[in-house]
Amino acid sequence: MIVKHLSPVTGLPHADPSNSAVTHAASKSMSTTTQKTPRRGNGGWLQVRKPLSRKKSLWLAQGAFLLPLLLWCAISYVPFLWHPMITVQNPGSVDYFQPGMQVDRAEFKEQNQKQIDHGGLPATGTRENPVYLPAPHRVAKALVTAFLTPPIRDGEPWLHESLGHSIRIIFLGFLFSAVLGIPLGLLCGTFALVSKLGEPFVDFVRYMPAPAFGALSVAILGIDDAPKVAIIFVGTFFQMVLVLANTTRSLPIPLLEAAQTLGAGRRQLLMNVVVPGVLPMLYRDMRILLGWAWTYLIVAELIGASSGISFFIYQQAKYRNYDNVYAAIILIGLIGLGTDLILKGLGRVFFPWEKDKG
Amino acid sequence: MEEALVLPDYLDLSPELRKRFESIAARETILEVSHLRKEFPGMENRPPILGDISFEVKRREFICVIGASGCGKSTMLRMLGGLEPCTAGEVRVSGKSVHGPGADRGMVFQEYTLFPWLTVKKNVMFGPRMAGQGRDSSEAEALQWLEMVGLADRVDAYPNQLSGGMKQRVAIARALANYPDILLMDEPFGALDAQTRSQMQRHLLQIWRNVDVTILFVTHDLDEAIFLADRIVVLGAHPGRILEIIQVPVDRPRSQAQALSPHFLAVKKRLEQLIHPEDPDAVKSLPMIRMARVGTEAEP
Repeated sequence: MIVKHLSPVTGLPHADPSNSAVTHAASKSMSTTTQKTPRRGNGGWLQVRKPLSRKKSLWLAQGAFLLPLLLWCAISYVPFLWHPMITVQNPGSVDYFQPGMQVDRAEFKEQNQKQIDHGGLPATGTRENPVYLPAPHRVAKALVTAFLTPPIRDGEPWLHESLGHSIRIIFLGFLFSAVLGIPLGLLCGTFALVSKLGEPFVDFVRYMPAPAFGALSVAILGIDDAPKVAIIFVGTFFQMVLVLANTTRSLPIPLLEAAQTLGAGRRQLLMNVVVPGVLPMLYRDMRILLGWAWTYLIVAELIGASSGISFFIYQQAKYRNYDNVYAAIILIGLIGLGTDLILKGLGRVFFPWEKDKG
Repeated sequence: MEEALVLPDYLDLSPELRKRFESIAARETILEVSHLRKEFPGMENRPPILGDISFEVKRREFICVIGASGCGKSTMLRMLGGLEPCTAGEVRVSGKSVHGPGADRGMVFQEYTLFPWLTVKKNVMFGPRMAGQGRDSSEAEALQWLEMVGLADRVDAYPNQLSGGMKQRVAIARALANYPDILLMDEPFGALDAQTRSQMQRHLLQIWRNVDVTILFVTHDLDEAIFLADRIVVLGAHPGRILEIIQVPVDRPRSQAQALSPHFLAVKKRLEQLIHPEDPDAVKSLPMIRMARVGTEAEP
């Protein structure tokens, strides 16, 4: 009787609409026979959780940088897209206009209308973007000239000196945090005793924003580099302990059990299983945390005696040299991306067994 | 203690086998499990995971532990390995009471537990190194064991470059490199495909013939148990207890062809009876499975 409904001879679904289960099953089996031929190549660009080919990945990585750049170019070089300001060339009869002055387009129009109504001379000018959005070519030029321009006042650092100073602060702050944070994180992740004793307090301090310690660290450590290093330390250390503790806890227990049945004692478990077992993941965590250090740098450099790349940005913004500001921000990005790529490459050398995991 | 070694009366042993079992019984006792009990905290009013387990294993014996799922066979093995504390009872290996894991009881787990950051060779060197052996002597040791398991050409590979079967062979070599009194194996071939699995079984018997080691092997595969074991410990559940200890009346060396011999089949039948007892009530009480819509509409 059941056979009648699922007749393989006709292969057709039963006509009775109430018999939806059978209809569904039959139509499913039919659709497999009329399957579309798969697309050529290794499948399209949009596939759920499938990796793209190397060539496609490279294209997209370039696109990731090219797209924002193209957008920036379009806004900068195509006048009718945005350009909300007008730079006055000839002020005409408007009293307060000066040549080279930037005015809002609406304001410019209103003033000119007034002059036309009263028989005065209308001002002329060209549409431009506001000063805070310099065109790409100006920023590109600034990337070079910023290094070649001597500091405005004597005794102030050149840009490369500022950058060097920033990198030194980050390096020292991150080094201190790593020297204390890595062992503590490993111990927290390994021994419940250390975890219960240490983590609640670390978790508590973690919620306090590092800049809140700015005034305090200046009072304690003076106005030079020490309080800046301290801010980087506070900003990264507490996060580091918690992140590394969790990473350490992700080591599969069976590995530890296997080591115990091979005769490993407590100390050996820690040094010969836990440490090498979590090292690659730990290294990955540290790469992410290094990015955070740059975030705290901006605050750190503005406390006490301002210095470094943030001071440069701050000062250039004050002088309205926005092309230099963008150049400096891009520099930070390039340094960050560069170090991360180098560290990623080194990771492949340090942990050859991770090769297949990418 | 003695009744554990009484031959089940439903099977006859060949004279050679009888002699073999007598010689085994005369050997020294390697593992002594007495009145082992396991309860998990907070579950005291339920039947214990393991009730009252007692048995002995002689030197160079191959014991398989089999039972329905949930009978506590893996828990028992972990207790013997010292990875799980005992609620009551005692485990003695070579006369010494077991408290915690140690190198005298090697373990091979179902999941792959090779250290991914060490090459095959260094994985096998791990035990000797932990015991304080020098680099050169542990390396020589490791190479010798890897040759025995047939992986001499993969010594510098990392575990993630090996197949499942190869990984378990390295795990066996790694455990044996410590010269354990007993090798505890917890469904080590459970994750392998059927063909690799039977290959590994033959391979394990070969190793066992060449090495002075006692093996306790947990499995839920009846054929595997009969193919490998001298004796099979059959566990029942709720509470976990020994139902019977069967001496396997199949000659050695074993071959796949024996799987059809009357002795093999008799043991298999007995195991089936013990593990899946026929209970007509239980079958009747199962809900009838039917295709409700198709079935009812098909009725005229």
